[in-house]
Amino acid sequence: MSKLQGNTIAKLCAWVVLLAAAFGTGIFGVRAVLSFGSVADDSWQGSSRYYNAVDNRRQELVTGIRLSHRLELLEKQIAEGTANSLAYADAEALREERAQVEERFSRQNTWFRFRVLTDNGQTLLGTNLNDDEAMTRAVQNVHYFSFALGDGDIYENVYYYDPETGEGYSDFPASTAGLNPGTEAESLKLVLEFGVPEKIDDSIQDEFSQIWRMWDMERAAFDQYLTGFLSLGALTLLALVWVLWTAGHRAGAEGTVTTWQERIFFDLYAAAMIAAVVCLAACFIWTAEQLYWGAANVYSIMNQDFNAFYKLGVMGAGAFFAAGVGCAALLLRTLAVRLKAGCLGKTTLLCRVVTWMVRTIHDFLRFLPFTWKLVLGFGAYVIFTFWLITVGRYDGVFMLMYFCLQLVLLLFLSWWAYGYYRLRQGTKTIAGGDLEYQIDTRHMPHDLRLQAEDLNNISVGLAGAVDEKMKSERFKAELITNVSHDLKTPLTSIINYVNLLKSTDQTDPKAVEYIEVLDRKSQRLKKLTEDLVDASKASTGVLSVVREKIGMSQLIDQALGEWEEKLNDRKLTLVTTLPEGETWVYADGRHLWRVIDNLLSNCAKYAMEGTRVYLDLGRGQGQVALSVKNISREPLNVPAERLMERFVRGEESRSTEGSGLGLSIARSLTELQGGSFDLAVDGDLFKAIVTLPQAN
Amino acid sequence: MNTILICDDDRDIVSALDIYLTSEGYQTIKAYNGKEALRAAETHEIHLILMDIMMPELDGIRATAKLREGSNVPIILLTAKSEDTDKILGLNIGADDYITKPFNPLEVIARVKSQLRRYTALGGAEKGPGLITAGPIAMDDGAKVVTVDGEPINLTPIEYNILKLLLSHPGQVFSSAQIYEQVWNDPAYGSENTVAVHIRHLREKIEINPAEPRYLKVVWGLGYKIEKGAAG
Repeated sequence: MSKLQGNTIAKLCAWVVLLAAAFGTGIFGVRAVLSFGSVADDSWQGSSRYYNAVDNRRQELVTGIRLSHRLELLEKQIAEGTANSLAYADAEALREERAQVEERFSRQNTWFRFRVLTDNGQTLLGTNLNDDEAMTRAVQNVHYFSFALGDGDIYENVYYYDPETGEGYSDFPASTAGLNPGTEAESLKLVLEFGVPEKIDDSIQDEFSQIWRMWDMERAAFDQYLTGFLSLGALTLLALVWVLWTAGHRAGAEGTVTTWQERIFFDLYAAAMIAAVVCLAACFIWTAEQLYWGAANVYSIMNQDFNAFYKLGVMGAGAFFAAGVGCAALLLRTLAVRLKAGCLGKTTLLCRVVTWMVRTIHDFLRFLPFTWKLVLGFGAYVIFTFWLITVGRYDGVFMLMYFCLQLVLLLFLSWWAYGYYRLRQGTKTIAGGDLEYQIDTRHMPHDLRLQAEDLNNISVGLAGAVDEKMKSERFKAELITNVSHDLKTPLTSIINYVNLLKSTDQTDPKAVEYIEVLDRKSQRLKKLTEDLVDASKASTGVLSVVREKIGMSQLIDQALGEWEEKLNDRKLTLVTTLPEGETWVYADGRHLWRVIDNLLSNCAKYAMEGTRVYLDLGRGQGQVALSVKNISREPLNVPAERLMERFVRGEESRSTEGSGLGLSIARSLTELQGGSFDLAVDGDLFKAIVTLPQAN
Repeated sequence: MNTILICDDDRDIVSALDIYLTSEGYQTIKAYNGKEALRAAETHEIHLILMDIMMPELDGIRATAKLREGSNVPIILLTAKSEDTDKILGLNIGADDYITKPFNPLEVIARVKSQLRRYTALGGAEKGPGLITAGPIAMDDGAKVVTVDGEPINLTPIEYNILKLLLSHPGQVFSSAQIYEQVWNDPAYGSENTVAVHIRHLREKIEINPAEPRYLKVVWGLGYKIEKGAAG
C-alpha cells in the first residue's frame, strides 16, 4: 500500500484523471445549470431568454413603424412638392428598408404575431395575423405596448395595457418623464399588441423556434447532464482523495517529502490560490451567462457558427472549472503535505509572526527580574480591576467578569503554591540524604523551575562527588591490601630465617642478642602490617557488618577470660561494674570484640603497673555505654582527639610495642556498627567510652 | 617417610620451609608455580602439599582445583591474602587448611603433622558407643580420653566436662552461664568468667592457633560452640 502511495505514475494518473474529470464536470455542470431554467419553467415562454427575444422584436417593429411613418411623411412632402431635392433618394432607401422589415415580420418568416392599433383600439393599422384570426386565440400570452408618433419626434411610453379593464399603467416612469406635453396633442398615439404562439415547430426558422427547440432539448437532456455532472463530480472527488492520500510520499524516501511548494508560506500560497479560484469561478459564471443570453440573441442563433460557438463556450466553461478545481487541489495537496509533515504552523507566515511575538513577550517576561514581574503583575491586576469597576459598575456582566478574574487569580496562585510545595518536598528529600532524587519540574512556574533545576544540578553534583569519594576510598583500601601483601611475603622469609638462626648454635653471645632483636622487631613488623590492613579496611568501610543482638555482659565476660591473666601478669587489677541482668546491643560480635580487645590490649601496654583498670557498663536512654579507665604509665602529653589518629601513641618515644593503630581501628569499627567512640584524658587518667544503641 | 610438596614463587620461603620440614624428617619436593606443582604431583607420590595462592603461570586456587580432580591429598594453602572471602574460596575449592602469611614456622609444622595424621590414619578410630567426634577431636567417654588427630591430650575434669557438653551439641551456642550451670551444677552468680578462662585453656590445648580457633569457637557476646561438622 505504501508502495502505491509513493508511485509517481499513479500520482500522475491521478492528476490527469482529476483534471479530465473536473473538465467533464465543468461541461456537464454548465449545461445542467443552463438547462435548469428550462426544467423549472413549465412553458418555454417563461424564460427571460424568451422575453428578451420578444422585446428585441418589439423594438425592431417599433423602429419599422417609425420608419414607415417617416416614409409616409416624406411621400406626402413629395406629393406637395415641399420636399428637398434629395427626398426621392431618401424615400427610395426608406422603402427598401421597410420592405426588409416587412419581409422579416411576414408570417412565412417568423412566429411573431402583432397588431398595431390606434390608442382607442378602433382602427387597425397593420398586422401579420390572418383576417379571421383573433389575437388572443393565436397568442395566449399577449403583450401590449403603447407609443406615440410625433412630427419628426417620437415619444415612447412603454406600458402594459390591460384590454379588459381598459386601463394602462406605466412600467417605466422614467420614460413618461421625457414626454413633452406641448407636442402631445399633435402626436399619433398607437397601441401595439404582440406575442408568440405557445405551440410552434420547426416549419418556420426564427429565434423563437430556436428558443423553443433549445427549451425542448434541454428539458429532455437535463437528467443526462445532471447524471454526468454528479458521476464525474464523484470521480473528481475520488481523484482528489487519491491525490491527497499520496501527497508527500515518494518511492524510496522515508517520511514526508516536501517540494518547492511547501517552501512558500502557506497563507500566501492559499491567498494566491483562492484568488485564482475566485477569478476562474467568475470566468465560469461569465461564460455561462454569455451562453445563456447568447442563445437568446437572434443574430447569434441565426448564425451558422452558433453551434460551434456554443460548443466552444461550453468547453471554455469546462476548462475554467477544471482549472479552478486544479488550483483548489494544489492548495489542498500542499495543505495535506504540510499536515503530514507537521510543518503547517512553521510554514505559515501569520503563525510565525504570532509565534515570534509570543516568544518575544515570553522572553521579555523571563528576562525581567522576579520583583519587577511581581510589581507589573500586581499593577496589571489593579488596573484591570479598577477598569472593571468603573466601566461595568451597573452591568450584570461585571459581576461575572469580576468573579472570573478572581477565579483566574486563585488558579494562578494555586499553581504557584503547588509548585512551591513540590520544590519544598524535593528539597526535604535531598536534604534527607537521597542525592539521587530529582525534582519533577514539569508544569512548574518558571521562577520556581529555575530553583528546582539548580537544586537538581546540585544533587547530581553532590551524588557524583560522593561516588567519587567512595571510589577513591575503595581504591585506597585495595592499594593497602596489595601493598600489605607485598610486605607480608618478604616478612615471612625474615621471620622464618630468624627462627632458623635461633636454632643454630651461636658461639658469640652478641650474635644471640642480635638475633633476639631481629626476632622482636620482625614480630612487631608483622603486627604492624596486620593492623595497617585492618585500620584501612575499617576506616574505608569496606568491611561487611552483620549486626545482631549481642549480650554485653557475656562479651565482657569472654573478654576478661581472654585478658585477665595477661593483665594480672602485668600486676593490673580488673574491676568490672555490670548492671543487673544481661544488656543487649545491636552490633557485629567480631568487630565489637576487636574494639574491646584493642582497648584491653592498650591497658596491658600502657597502664601503670600495680594500678586498677575499671570496666563499667551502663545503659540508659536507649544507649549502652562501656567505659574502660586506666592510669597511664607515661604522662599523656597528647590531646584525646589526637590519640585516635593513626600512628599516634600516648608517648612520643615509640619505643614500646604497638602500632598506634589500635584506637583508630576501635573508633572506625565502633562507628561502622552505628555507635560512637570517645576518649577522655584527665591527667594520667585515660578513659575510653564505647556507646552503642541498645536492643530490647 | 612422608613426602611433602612445597610450592611458592618466593624461593626463600620454599627453602626455609624445606629446612624446617626436612629437620622434622619429611622428604620434600620444591615447585615455584602452579604448573610445576601439577607436574611434580604427577611424577611423585605426594602425601601433603603446601601451596601459595598468588603465583605466576597458575595460581594456587586453580592448581588446587586441578589437583582435586584426581587426588585427595591434603592441601594447605599459604596466603598473604587475609580476606575472609579468599579463605572461604580456598576451602570450598578443596583445600584442607590455610595458613596466613607471615606465618610462624612452628604453626606450619603443627598443621602439617595434624593433616598427615588424619590422612594416614586410614579412616580413624571405630565409632564406638561412647565415642563422640567433631572433626579431628575424638572423645571416648568410657575411657575418659580425648584425642586430637589421634594425639591424646591432658584435660582437667572441668575442661573435660565443658568439652563434653559442647561436643554432644555441635553447632549449639552455650552462654557462660549455661555452661556454668551444666558443668558445676550450680546456679550462676556472676562468676562466669571462670568459664571463659577454662575455655581459653581448653582452646590452647586442642587448637593449633588459639587466637584463630578452628573447632572450639567463640561467638562473641553470645557464648561458645563446637563447629558443626568441623572440617580441616
